[in-house]
Amino acid sequence: MTYLNRWTLRLAVAASLAVAAPSQQSQEQSSLSGVVRLNRAPVSNEVLRVKFPRPSETKLKNGLSLMVLEDHRTPSFALRLSIPASSLTEPPELAGTLAGSVAYLVRQGTKTRSAQQIAETLAELGGGLGVSAGPRNITVSVSGLTDNLDELLELFADVLLNPSFPQSELDTLVQRQLSSLQAARSQPGFLAEERLYALLYPNDARKVTAPTAESLKRLTREEVVKYYQANYKPAGGMIGVAGDVNLKDMAARLEKLLSGWKGSPPPLPKLALEPPIKDKRVVLVDRPNSVQTYLTVANRAIGRRDPDYIACNLMNQVLGSGPASRLFRNIREEKGFTYGISSGFSATWYFNDFEASANVRTEVTEAALDEILKEFRDIRERPVPADELDGARRALVGGFARSLESASSLLSRAMELKEYGFPADYWDRYPEQLMKLTPQQITQVARKYVPVDNIQIVAVGDAARLRSALKKFGPVEEYTAEGKPVSGSRQAGP
Amino acid sequence: MRKFLMLILLCAMAANTAEAPKPIPPVKFTDTRLDNGLRVILSEDHHAPVYAIYIAYGVGSKDERPGRTGFAHLFEHMMFKGSANVGSGEHFYLVFTNGGTMNGATSPDTTIYYEVLPKNQLDLGLFLESDRMRSLAVTRENLENQRDTVKEERRQSVDNQAYGPSSERLTELAYDTFAYKHSVIGSMADLEAATLEDVKEFFRTYYAPNNAVLALVGDFDSAEAMARIKKYFGDIPRQPAPKPVDFSEAPQTAERRDRLEDKLARLTRIAVVYKIPAGNSPDIEALNVMNLALASGESSRLYQKLVRESRVAVSVGGGVSERIGPGLYQLSVMVQAGRQPDEAEKLLYEEIARLQADGVTPKEMLRARSAARSMAVSVRSSVLSRAGSLASDAVRFNDPGRLNTVEQRRAAVTPEQVREVARKYLRPENRTVVLTVPAAAGQPAAPKPAGAVKQ
Repeated sequence: MTYLNRWTLRLAVAASLAVAAPSQQSQEQSSLSGVVRLNRAPVSNEVLRVKFPRPSETKLKNGLSLMVLEDHRTPSFALRLSIPASSLTEPPELAGTLAGSVAYLVRQGTKTRSAQQIAETLAELGGGLGVSAGPRNITVSVSGLTDNLDELLELFADVLLNPSFPQSELDTLVQRQLSSLQAARSQPGFLAEERLYALLYPNDARKVTAPTAESLKRLTREEVVKYYQANYKPAGGMIGVAGDVNLKDMAARLEKLLSGWKGSPPPLPKLALEPPIKDKRVVLVDRPNSVQTYLTVANRAIGRRDPDYIACNLMNQVLGSGPASRLFRNIREEKGFTYGISSGFSATWYFNDFEASANVRTEVTEAALDEILKEFRDIRERPVPADELDGARRALVGGFARSLESASSLLSRAMELKEYGFPADYWDRYPEQLMKLTPQQITQVARKYVPVDNIQIVAVGDAARLRSALKKFGPVEEYTAEGKPVSGSRQAGP
Repeated sequence: MRKFLMLILLCAMAANTAEAPKPIPPVKFTDTRLDNGLRVILSEDHHAPVYAIYIAYGVGSKDERPGRTGFAHLFEHMMFKGSANVGSGEHFYLVFTNGGTMNGATSPDTTIYYEVLPKNQLDLGLFLESDRMRSLAVTRENLENQRDTVKEERRQSVDNQAYGPSSERLTELAYDTFAYKHSVIGSMADLEAATLEDVKEFFRTYYAPNNAVLALVGDFDSAEAMARIKKYFGDIPRQPAPKPVDFSEAPQTAERRDRLEDKLARLTRIAVVYKIPAGNSPDIEALNVMNLALASGESSRLYQKLVRESRVAVSVGGGVSERIGPGLYQLSVMVQAGRQPDEAEKLLYEEIARLQADGVTPKEMLRARSAARSMAVSVRSSVLSRAGSLASDAVRFNDPGRLNTVEQRRAAVTPEQVREVARKYLRPENRTVVLTVPAAAGQPAAPKPAGAVKQ
């Protein structure tokens, strides 16, 4: 069974896709802003269709699913363990702090190895080991050369099962984090995210984007151990391995290393995805001496399992994904306001935001916002022209050929499908679904999820130079770079 | 404790000697020159239905003249604004709406452009690259527009960034000769001064087939691909070779040091660079091994001493900046809030002195060999990374096959060589230090010392 799944790419030219030929034949000048189309370049009218290789699968005795995607080109492998445990279950006084600290400390010492020994051993074996705590999953990954597969897997299991959480490593972490937190407050992106998540997810743990000095000082070894013991459990988890390995061998090795590991993590939190916010908000974060404004505009939109997901992807491909998109063509290529602008949906179990962001020079902040809003209105009000929509479809489907290059990213796709309960042929059917979408459906999702009258604006920059320009977009709420509200800052709009 | 470490070492070595590690298959390629001087490197790989085209031009900020810093990069932006048969911005649009991706980048030594596309779009990639090599179309309007974009890029990456200005200051202070003394992004005044005539002149001189390498890697038939390359590129006329760049640097005889106040920074940063020889040489390979032991990752000596033990630093980093001319070995330390930079700098030099006295351990040598093997694996991971490696090493060092010799070159380095390069280059009189300290909140920065003012 294993071998049936090995890299059997079945390539078929998609005559059935009926993608309209690029406007090579039509001599009409397209009205794409920021682009002059001469239509003289040789373009193949066929969209290369690919079939995604499926990993082979089995279950380990402790209930973990195992998926393996073979790739024997180089003697290397990448393994990822994903446990369904949420960082959003942290106690409120340690929000944004505990889960991430535990993830860091897990690899800073075991019963038989110090942090330094772990780092040295990894370097000697040519391997990497990472632990991270997300809103839906704890992830532990190990990768490296298969020359040292045994040693690397043994180290992975040791770190996962026997962390010792030395007090000294905790102290080092807290001190570094306190400094890093200070440094982060100089970064516009950090300041914007802090305000944005408070706007979009005001009522629960999702609003917390980083530790605070207080939460860090409150962190104890006892809490760390307790969190580890409750959350690092296998039930419902899965392991994906890509590389120069096979399922049978990998299953045998992992059985041996993880057979004693049992139990369930606590239930995942029940946090609903809320619909878009109805009222407009304008937030200004003062970053004195800025020569640019970091602009983010957003609202809540859809989760990953929303039926509108594919339509939203296609709509965003037109609006703000990459250099062929409207935002980039207009605001960078035509206006020269920014070095880069893009938009996107983060559609997951717990997060459902649509966001566009750009760094623009301070003087054009108002003009850039006007242009962003103009593009937002346009995609809501006017049907996307057929050739532009076809371009977006080809971009999405044509890009699949490139994704076949990396076994580990293919495996990530497969693991994502399993996590969200989608059928294994999801990506194989995706192109047909894209083709079926009509311009009317694109307009519909744009109207639902691209905000105009209910836009949430966060601007990070030199407040003295931005205050009056922003007033036009709504009453401005102002914050300091330390994250504190400036009293009396809510000003009446025009 | 010591015994325990030894035991691990023996295990690790046993693991490595028990069976010979599986060889990493070499990347096979052909290397030819068209009559007009364009160097063409082809490497077939039918694993996935994609290909990468990568063109490296032998021009970078090193070729700029005083008063025109940032020009090579501004020019790179012009390459997307249209040629005889491709409209302004159409390049982006065609690549991204046909399932591809692309980019361009400028460094001190080279300017590179690439596209990765599905295999059935081979003509598209070749056409786009050949049309702009043959017939870049520049207009005043396009130049103005990209000047604005590049100025935004400068603001985003330098002027609005903590440590941005001090990173520019570091190379300005370390180098004496213009070629590497100025930054790739250039000064606002020079970007402002660039003219349409400059663009035309630069294009004619440097964007000639005989000053470029084309690497094509992926799912195609080599004979057929070569025929098409000849069709698209063969009739682009060669140009007289650009004049050689002056890289000469007089030996440095005393430490150079500056201190900058940064209104956007929150932590003190110590940046130290040492001048090192030109790239692709045995000393550079030994410096890479030294860097892995000294400053790379959590297993490194500096991490252990400055971050984990003394907690004087939040992070440390190091790297060998390899160039056609004299390169730099760079170290940086982000100082923990409330701690003294002097203390961190002293510890840094103590670790360097220890390395110069005792050299590296067998375990550190083993780590360096493993790192080389991992690097050999990762460069093979995509058609783009292979194409980039083949083309860049061809244009910079006339050594396209460098990606196939990573492991051998690393294995040839001896512990004695590592100690030798540490002694030879990491001397106090060969270093340049720039300290960046946060300017007091809400205060305008103190006037900079005369030497720190940018032109």
